[in-house]
Amino acid sequence: MSTETGRESQRSGALVNLMRWMENLSDTQYAYLLLVPVFVLLGVVALYPLLRTFELSLFAVSTDLTSIKFVGIDNYIGLFTGEKNRYLPGGTTFLPSSFEFTSLLNSALVITIIFAVVSVLFETLIGLGQALILDQDFYGRRWVRAAIIIPWAVPIVIQGMIFFLMFNSNVGFATPPLADLGLLAPTNTLNDTASATFIIIVADIWKTSAFMALLILAGLQSIDRGLYDVAKVAGATKWQQFKLITLPLILPTIGVAVLFRSVQAMRVYGIIDTVSSCAVVPSLSCMVVATFNTREGTSAAIAFVTAAIIGIVVMGIILWQGEDAI
Amino acid sequence: MATTTKDTDDSDGPLARWTQRAIQNPERVYRALFYAAMAFFLVTTLFPFYWLAVLAVTPEGNLLAGSFLPTINLFGVSGTFPLPVPKGFNPAAFVTVFEQVPFHLYMLNSFALAVTTTVIVLFVASLAGYVFGRLRFPGRALLMLGILAISYFPPAAFVIPLFQAFAGNAPITVPFTDIPLFTPPRLLNTPGSMVLPFSALFMPLSIFILTTFYGQIPDGLEDAARVEGTTRLGALFRVIMPLSAPGVATASVLTFIAVYNEYFFSSIMATSPEAAKWSPIVGGILSYQTQYTTQYNLMAAASIVGVLPVVILVIVAQERIVSGLTSGALKE
Repeated sequence: MSTETGRESQRSGALVNLMRWMENLSDTQYAYLLLVPVFVLLGVVALYPLLRTFELSLFAVSTDLTSIKFVGIDNYIGLFTGEKNRYLPGGTTFLPSSFEFTSLLNSALVITIIFAVVSVLFETLIGLGQALILDQDFYGRRWVRAAIIIPWAVPIVIQGMIFFLMFNSNVGFATPPLADLGLLAPTNTLNDTASATFIIIVADIWKTSAFMALLILAGLQSIDRGLYDVAKVAGATKWQQFKLITLPLILPTIGVAVLFRSVQAMRVYGIIDTVSSCAVVPSLSCMVVATFNTREGTSAAIAFVTAAIIGIVVMGIILWQGEDAI
Repeated sequence: MATTTKDTDDSDGPLARWTQRAIQNPERVYRALFYAAMAFFLVTTLFPFYWLAVLAVTPEGNLLAGSFLPTINLFGVSGTFPLPVPKGFNPAAFVTVFEQVPFHLYMLNSFALAVTTTVIVLFVASLAGYVFGRLRFPGRALLMLGILAISYFPPAAFVIPLFQAFAGNAPITVPFTDIPLFTPPRLLNTPGSMVLPFSALFMPLSIFILTTFYGQIPDGLEDAARVEGTTRLGALFRVIMPLSAPGVATASVLTFIAVYNEYFFSSIMATSPEAAKWSPIVGGILSYQTQYTTQYNLMAAASIVGVLPVVILVIVAQERIVSGLTSGALKE
């Protein structure tokens, strides 16, 4: 930096100094320096919005609609007593108003949980089946695996469009046969809550089973093949081999995969927006989007409840898995 | 095995013979079950694409006339054919789809957003992957847990403040106070409003993948580079990153697909579905659903065009996707 040095080093003087400074940092200092971009990005896009969402959930628009005022946890109380239901789209509610089937399906909280549980259950079963197939050695395995993965890579909007076109009242060929079986409403299918939920769950299973299959396949391939040879010598049937060797060894993998997928499934929004609408199938994310322009406090309260539910599940995973989670 | 049993039964039909052999050799039953299950999974995963193709080539005038499931008459018994077939053939929809709505521009937007996000994520996640994979320092486990926990949160928990900030109307304040920090520029309908959330959302997976890969490079190689006079950062980008090429490729492919597939922020941050306002394919496909409500052949054609890039990517980069999902996703 001194004036005696030539032009060349003067120009890069600051950079050289910065490099020298970095070289002399301790491991800890250097680690935290390199993590600054991560902190900035997550701070701006995740941490700040999360805190701010909580703050917004404590405010409500005043009765004359001109200002916002602090209301404490009134928004949350309003959600759970049903007082906020009038701001939600269609005839939907936050908590079910009674334990009848239709009222359960109209509740954002219940339908999100139903969606997550049912779709993850079937995804696990189908994923297990697909994984058992892919675990075998056969000619063309690579192509079968590609075919099974493809739905996972399909954009949500196109996934939605596919199922919209399958069950649409004008061109959808799939509605009449399924309506004959009593699974779907024969007319106005995509505006019927039970039918639309069924279709959305099927769409999610179609797209995400492959993901479960890959996770379970990784578990299957870590099993010691020698165990099966021993079982064969001992005269075990295929079913006994599956029940006594395969299943116990992959259960931990399946457990983690199921929890992970459940958390993801509770975010459901895009497929509902494309196939049906938020007024018909009210998921929690759906309710946040539907109200955030008009009722900020209510919307923020729903968003925070969603985050809290997921946070509790995540804490469960981390406590259960401990250090293995990393 | 199959030939030796042939002479034991001569008068029975083929089914009885097959059963006889199956009883003697259960392996055959497992084989048959295996192929039946495989066929079932192949049909269920690929059928929706077949349906898109059927719709896309059906001429517009025939879309609403009659059922896609033709009635067939087989030996005097009439029934419904269980597979939809096209009603006529007209592939013009694949051209019209670019004319009615500039669908190629929406796809370009998606590509631009995905590539930008991937570059940012790779850079930031490389720094973090190096730190977590190769350095030991206090707070390492806690920080990784924190990143893990944040990656689980739903986008809905972030969207309200982000939307307000990107609208650029009011200054950002410190949460729970009125202290103003700065007024952000208006980012809605620009790449920034999507690239920022995408980067934060999809970065954790890449961090975990790169941590695994960078951690496996022997210390000796890094030391050798340092002795040669490379700086610490130089060693990361000139030695460790190139040596972990498979890991970097895995992280790139997964990030690209994730952005291309994203719905939530893509539909909210691009407030109007116009290609000129950076709306990605979400906007393109939805504008067919909302503007051309009965041209189902165009919706199907647009979906096929939109899905092609990821299908090609899956076929080409299959190994990378499988290894990335299985090594990183369980942890993400």
